[in-house]
Amino acid sequence: MAVHQIDITRDCCPLTYVKVKARLYALETGDVLEVLLKGGEPLENVPATAVRDGHAVLGVESRGGGIHLVRIRK
Amino acid sequence: MGVYFDNNATTPLDPQVLEAMLPFLRDCFGNPSSPHQYGSRAKAAIEEARESVGALLGCAAERLVFTCSGTEGNNTAILSAVLADPGKRRVVTSAVEHHCVLRRLEYLRDHMGVEVVFLPVDGQGRLDLDRLRQAVTPDTALVSLMGANNETGVLWPVEEIAGLVKSRGALFHCDAVQLAGKEPFSLRTLAADYLTISGHKFHGPKGAGALYVARGAPFTPLLFGGMQESGRRAGTQNVAGIVGLGKAAELARAFLSVSGHEKLRELRDHLEGRILAEIDDVVIHGWAAPRIANTISLGVGGAPQEVLLAELSDRDFAVSTTSACESASVAPSHVLAAMGVPDRYLRSTLRLSLSRQNAIEEVEAFMVVFPQVVSAARRLGGGGR
Repeated sequence: MAVHQIDITRDCCPLTYVKVKARLYALETGDVLEVLLKGGEPLENVPATAVRDGHAVLGVESRGGGIHLVRIRK
Repeated sequence: MGVYFDNNATTPLDPQVLEAMLPFLRDCFGNPSSPHQYGSRAKAAIEEARESVGALLGCAAERLVFTCSGTEGNNTAILSAVLADPGKRRVVTSAVEHHCVLRRLEYLRDHMGVEVVFLPVDGQGRLDLDRLRQAVTPDTALVSLMGANNETGVLWPVEEIAGLVKSRGALFHCDAVQLAGKEPFSLRTLAADYLTISGHKFHGPKGAGALYVARGAPFTPLLFGGMQESGRRAGTQNVAGIVGLGKAAELARAFLSVSGHEKLRELRDHLEGRILAEIDDVVIHGWAAPRIANTISLGVGGAPQEVLLAELSDRDFAVSTTSACESASVAPSHVLAAMGVPDRYLRSTLRLSLSRQNAIEEVEAFMVVFPQVVSAARRLGGGGR
């Protein structure tokens, strides 16, 4: 199992999940993607959409300054 | 500088439109309902814009109600028709309308007992007019159908449709948001009772649209309050936006009068031809149907659309998957699903929509990167057939 990172703190919805989804395609099943994103809409949408797409959200941590880390397992 | 091929979502403001609007964001700030020279100047500008939009659509200016969006126009038209006659509780529409029509009608069905018929389309996005004829029964209040589809660009014969619907005693609403300013048509020959347009789809500003209401067509305001828009739409008008809409209509009329849309079609066809020639396993949804001049709905077999979108975005090319509001949706496009597009292309479709501001150089620049983007996306998506 490999751990990958993506920073979408500079992106707005809907491009946020588009980028996450594109990145998930490149991962092996079981790999983890750590997504750094802003609170508000990205934090609401990205984990929820990941779950709807069949991935597992392992956790959400606040990193301060309105930034969060969402861990998604493919 | 990026390349913008997402003009069905919105278009860049024409510089001349911006110039026309600026005075109404600065010194000419009056409320058009006010009884002084500030108000009069704003009011005069609104009426001038109404004349200009009327000239584009081929209708009397007084038949136009300014709105804030295509969504507002569509909602107003549908409610007006449905509320008009309690004895008519049926609405006919299609499965491929914009969500502002579909969600409105679903609400009326679920909460007000209105019967809604969603007509299917064929594999090319075409409507079966015999089926439409059969669907318009004596208790049908309204038929609401779009002029051009926002995802595929497929055009419907709205003049023929309007004649058919009127002959059967129902009201006809045309969502012309993707049609107006892009293809020539005139309300002198299109017998619609209601027709919706939105300025930002043809180089006007966001927040300004118009609803045509034919003489004698039932009308109920969506917003009540003051007597703006002759009592048809309360609320202080968006003066600068309406002025911009008027200017955009004037420019669109000039564009169409010199067959600018045919030049745009040549550019679109050139791009389409290169894609078909240089990339295998691609399809153009609606290729066999008449289409507006600017749109390509492109299925790329084996290439996840999110990867295509993200890779192009990283290279500063702006395209979309389906409609702007649905770009990150998990569900596939309802338009493509209704057309029976095979799974291989259903979630692998990009919408490329051009405008009169695009140039051949941008098409060539796109084709430098697009084959590589497709190859990369196919590798991630599991590759070939």
